[in-house]
Amino acid sequence: MSGAEILLEPGVIPRLLQGLWVTVWIAGVSVALSVPVGLIVGWLMTMKNPVVRLLTRIYLDFIRIMPQLALLFIAFYGFAQAWNWNLDATGACVFVFVLWGGAELGDLVRGALESIPKAQYESSYVLGLSGWQTFTKVILPQALRRLLPASVNLATRIVKTTSLAVLLGVVEVIKVGQQIIDANRFQYPTGTLWIYGVIFLMYFIVCWPLSIVARRLEKRWKHD
Amino acid sequence: MTEQVARTTQASLDVRHLVKQYANADKPVLNDISFSVPHGKVFVIVGPSGSGKSTLLRTIAGLEPIQGGTISLNGEVIETGKPGTESAGRSKRSSELRTRVGMVFQSYDLFPNKTVLGNITLAPTLVQKRDKAEAEQEAIALLERVGLADRKNAWPHELSGGQRQRVAICRALILHPEVLLFDEVTAALDPEMVREVLDVMLELADSGQTMLIVTHEMQFARAIADQIILLEGGDIVEQSDDAEAFFTNPKTERARRFLRTFEFDRHRKPAETTA
Amino acid sequence: MLDWAFVSHYAPFFVKGAEITLIISVFGIILAVVTGLVCAGIEIARVPVLRQIVRIYIELSRNTPLLVQLYFLYFGLPKLGVVWSAEQCAIVGLGFLGGSYMAEAMRGGLETIPEVQRESAYVLGLSPWQTLSHVVVPQAISTSIPGVVANVIFLIKESSVVSAIALADVMYMAKDLIGMYYDTYESLFLLIVTYLVILLPISLLGTWLERRFDYERR
Repeated sequence: MSGAEILLEPGVIPRLLQGLWVTVWIAGVSVALSVPVGLIVGWLMTMKNPVVRLLTRIYLDFIRIMPQLALLFIAFYGFAQAWNWNLDATGACVFVFVLWGGAELGDLVRGALESIPKAQYESSYVLGLSGWQTFTKVILPQALRRLLPASVNLATRIVKTTSLAVLLGVVEVIKVGQQIIDANRFQYPTGTLWIYGVIFLMYFIVCWPLSIVARRLEKRWKHD
Repeated sequence: MTEQVARTTQASLDVRHLVKQYANADKPVLNDISFSVPHGKVFVIVGPSGSGKSTLLRTIAGLEPIQGGTISLNGEVIETGKPGTESAGRSKRSSELRTRVGMVFQSYDLFPNKTVLGNITLAPTLVQKRDKAEAEQEAIALLERVGLADRKNAWPHELSGGQRQRVAICRALILHPEVLLFDEVTAALDPEMVREVLDVMLELADSGQTMLIVTHEMQFARAIADQIILLEGGDIVEQSDDAEAFFTNPKTERARRFLRTFEFDRHRKPAETTA
Repeated sequence: MLDWAFVSHYAPFFVKGAEITLIISVFGIILAVVTGLVCAGIEIARVPVLRQIVRIYIELSRNTPLLVQLYFLYFGLPKLGVVWSAEQCAIVGLGFLGGSYMAEAMRGGLETIPEVQRESAYVLGLSPWQTLSHVVVPQAISTSIPGVVANVIFLIKESSVVSAIALADVMYMAKDLIGMYYDTYESLFLLIVTYLVILLPISLLGTWLERRFDYERR
């Protein structure tokens, strides 16, 4: 079909791949930082202290009910003005994704910890294991099995949400695509279709394997 | 009602040379099984786990296709085995025929979206096209019989396991089945609830209901059975028209060994050797 | 402190934006539910060929961002001669994304119904249609509701992305006001309040619906 030649123009695919790298980088850093935040939040959520419970509850519910784009705006425009904090667009994205990923992961950690039957703690106690041994040798391995598939799923969601970065002006894959479309407007009027098509496929190629891994893990550990 | 009486007077279930084979299995799970359940009698099937007892009941209910032999009800052949049907689904038998073979499952078979009364009256009104008021009246009578009249408007999740199974029995009985199949109905129950269900079944036996029962409760089997078979590995190991004789004086060594697994003898050593 | 005069002056803009958000969401969700029903039906009935197409659709839809889907639909497809408004495009985009999520929720709901439920219905003599309408569907509705409600909330949130194709929804209003007046706090305040007003009742309604239809808990 006419217009597809735009993809063969020198530099087009490499530039898109560079853009994709920015996307993957933001997502990767966000996921990596979400893990410690999520562990802490999850631990806080299982605490008995009612104030801590209430605060973590509000944090989780607020993050969950707001559209991610709204959260990005709040961080990008609101925080910049509030503390004269010159958070650049990429920083705002990572900040929001970590807050969001940490909240979701925290809830998963809480669920995983609470799903472990009391008898597991009790039999560890009866067998003479210390508190730390119980946690690291008995509880954590079981919690991880529940946690890992959901975490991989969360990573997929974060990658997809990274697409919103373009709306804050981050030069990632979509922005690069738009630049290419603009530059070739007259030479390839139908280039739009092809560039967005390729970006669509690029996201799919990144996210699909993650989805498959998550599904496999879920299936494998479901019956244990 | 006259039609109901007419068909129950001579009802009996007859199984001839039944073969049941699963796809991708080299050995049939049921191999040339023949027996018959006379009208008004209680027929019990016992055997170790994996012997094919439940599968046998399921083939009679039409839930699994058979690959050989016949199943007859009241002299009429209702199922004929055909090779190559291993992966076929449930039997295509008519609704009317299905109501003539009742079945109670191990658990989870009450419809959670219907009340107790709704569960019992669903099939009579929908399948037998009976009058709703009449069906409800009979349902309440049945619930009284099993001691649950006061729970008629309860939801299944509000009932104990034993109560659910008693409701499931009422749900099968209201269709006046010629034979009623019980597939380990107490296996999933807490011990203290087993009794209430077994009592209902004993009462049914006394009332002349034709029944085919798969059970692990040997004491109960002995109390309720008129006739019995011991199934193992898809074969009938021992068949007895006198159930009591099976328990007191089994003919085969295998049956003796099977029955011994339910006995507990503590062989204390004589006092002098331990001292 | 917030400039309340600004807030009250611009609140009506957000009401207008909420209208757009809700219109797009409602039609998008209806389309998603219909798509989901059709896809779940095809998967459960194991219709050959169509089933593979549904599988491909679900994977494509779930593993790509709505923004990219929208850009492709809104900027890309017109090059093939498709002529449509931003509204139509947003609704189709939301339906395309939501359809796969709804299909998975419905299929998941159906799969949790134990086989013995169908077997009981069979033994009682119920026809396949009676089994479906009296036993399977009522239970499937109950078991699918949590997933479907979660998807409804998810789709309303996702609809914020349609501001990117120049639809004047809630998000667009906030962006516009921040760009024009620098009254950032007031705009963000209105943004948060509007979304809370839309989403909190739906979230509560969802919890209530789950209770109402849960045969194990009511």
